[in-house]
Amino acid sequence: MHNTHKKTLLLIGMLLAVNMLSSLPLFAISAEEIIRKLEENEVHETVRSEGKMIINDRFGEKVTTFKSWAEGEEKTLIEFTSRQERGQKILRTDDEIYLYFPDAAEVIRLQGAALRDSVLGSDMSYEDMTGGKGLLDSYHANLLGTEKVDGQECYQIELKAKGRGVPYPREILWVDSEMFVTRRVHMFSLSEKLLKEMRIEEYRSLKGKTFPVRFIIEDKMKRNSSTEFVLESIEIGVNIPSSRFSIEELTW
Amino acid sequence: MKLRKIAWRNIRRNTRRSILSMSAVAIAAMTFVFLFSMIEGMKQDVAYNLQTFVTGEVRIRHSEFEKYKHLNPLHLGVNNYSELTERLESMEEVRSISPRIKFPTAIYKEGSTYRAQGQGVDFDREAEYQGLEEYVVKGRMPRNGQNEVLVASGLAKEMNLDIGDNFTLLTQTRGRGMNAITFEITGLSHYEFDGLNNSFFQAPLDRVQYFLRMDNSVSEILIKLEENHSAEELSAGLDRSLTDWGRPQLEARMWKDISQTYSFVVMADAIYFIIALMFFLLGSTVIINTMMMTIFERRKEIGTINAMGMTGPEIVRLFFLEAFYIAVIGSFVGVLAGIGITYPTTIYGLGFGEAMQGVDFEVSTVLKPVLNLKSTLFVFLYSTFIASVASFIPSRTSAKVEPVEALRAI
Repeated sequence: MHNTHKKTLLLIGMLLAVNMLSSLPLFAISAEEIIRKLEENEVHETVRSEGKMIINDRFGEKVTTFKSWAEGEEKTLIEFTSRQERGQKILRTDDEIYLYFPDAAEVIRLQGAALRDSVLGSDMSYEDMTGGKGLLDSYHANLLGTEKVDGQECYQIELKAKGRGVPYPREILWVDSEMFVTRRVHMFSLSEKLLKEMRIEEYRSLKGKTFPVRFIIEDKMKRNSSTEFVLESIEIGVNIPSSRFSIEELTW
Repeated sequence: MKLRKIAWRNIRRNTRRSILSMSAVAIAAMTFVFLFSMIEGMKQDVAYNLQTFVTGEVRIRHSEFEKYKHLNPLHLGVNNYSELTERLESMEEVRSISPRIKFPTAIYKEGSTYRAQGQGVDFDREAEYQGLEEYVVKGRMPRNGQNEVLVASGLAKEMNLDIGDNFTLLTQTRGRGMNAITFEITGLSHYEFDGLNNSFFQAPLDRVQYFLRMDNSVSEILIKLEENHSAEELSAGLDRSLTDWGRPQLEARMWKDISQTYSFVVMADAIYFIIALMFFLLGSTVIINTMMMTIFERRKEIGTINAMGMTGPEIVRLFFLEAFYIAVIGSFVGVLAGIGITYPTTIYGLGFGEAMQGVDFEVSTVLKPVLNLKSTLFVFLYSTFIASVASFIPSRTSAKVEPVEALRAI
């Protein structure tokens, strides 16, 4: 009787274990690994792109076009090409943001509260462009589970800031479990208030990698406001001279 | 006639006490001549500041601008403003106009950021509209068409800048984008209206239009009127004309309807009338007290004159006349003293520099009280009236003195 009981328990245990293992495929990967795979896909040595930013707010729609150059995660140069902003540039090197305007005699280095200002009235702030380090350098990642976003199975990952040098102390990422691309991001304040939401609407594959090419950011602190980013052309692995990301070159 | 003589003689019987009674009314009257002059000065000062620097006598703006003011809605401007100014200038009621663009901005100077309020103005027009040259305390006015700027002395001090220095400002454009431009300081300004001495600068309208991408638009047009024309009538007429001119999105409003500051001063004026009433009543208590004492002291005398045939109403009139004379003399002396202490301040003004710092009212730091006949005469009549009415109470008690009772003590 005692032996039979032990066997029954063992059987139940084995069945439970098999059952748990059968639901594990999505969890067989850690949050850190997901982030690494995501960054492998979305971050490149060099990228050159052209696109537009469509800002919708209570006053209507505004379209701004731009060209951009990026080297890794830490260097980005954006040059605006639309009529109203033609010639204006934003340079990001590490955690510094510099603004160049054709009619200004000096390059403006943004710091402090000014970093929270919106980029050309969009839902993105200059601060959103900072934080060049990898996500795992700045955040503790925690896999919360899986959830379907736009019909695709996604890992839901919570990111908690390691220090104060990041724009958002907490973020939740939904990462596509097949393509390892971001599908949705929620950015929270210290008081757990949802500040911004980013939704990736379209992807493009190039050289075996998958890029988000159309995404929407909504600043939840603004009423009736959203900004759509559309990347119309992308080249990766292009030759970009490192001087392109210098302040001297900015004024050319 | 007899009663007046007796009343006057009675006042002189105890000069010290009469002077004390008069002085209470006099101090109240003096205080209110000064305070009403201050309020009148403040009213004129606020009106001038509003009409010259803030709202004009009539202001034309996009009707939706006020609603979105906090978002700096430059796109809700007065488009093709030069066509409109031509129309306005042809109107006989209009003396001068000032097209302006107001915009909040961040100034960058050697790595530091300063928040400021910019104003694009046509410097040729402003010389006439606000006599701008008077306020240039150092350097010269900027020239239209040049990247030159007139900076408030307080802002220049805060940024440690002087004539010939440059600074770069960053601001939101009409299309809700951003733009920056560098200006050279050609002049420093200082206004008696302290709100314009800090965080404020003026740049040529055409250059501001260029960098804010405003094309031929301004955010508002301020209008000053010729003498004897009503801002209320012009604003109502203009409102209709703007629709006829195909600009129904614009509205014309008169200055009193725009700013609350003037309403507050007018309200203060009304409150002062009530405070004055309290003061005069307080002053009158001294007269009441004196009269009561006099009546008690003169009970025998009252009994005697009553026994001699003077009627009750005549006795009341006698004491009322005494109180009235004290009130008239006290008020007169008080008004004269009030004029005496107020007059020098109407010339030299009173400085409220420290007190007015950070106050968001369109009031100058140096206030010049304005003495006017109406308010001065009012103080005299008002104080006389209140004191006389108050003295009627003790006067009435004099009639209640019974002759037999009053004479019993003899």
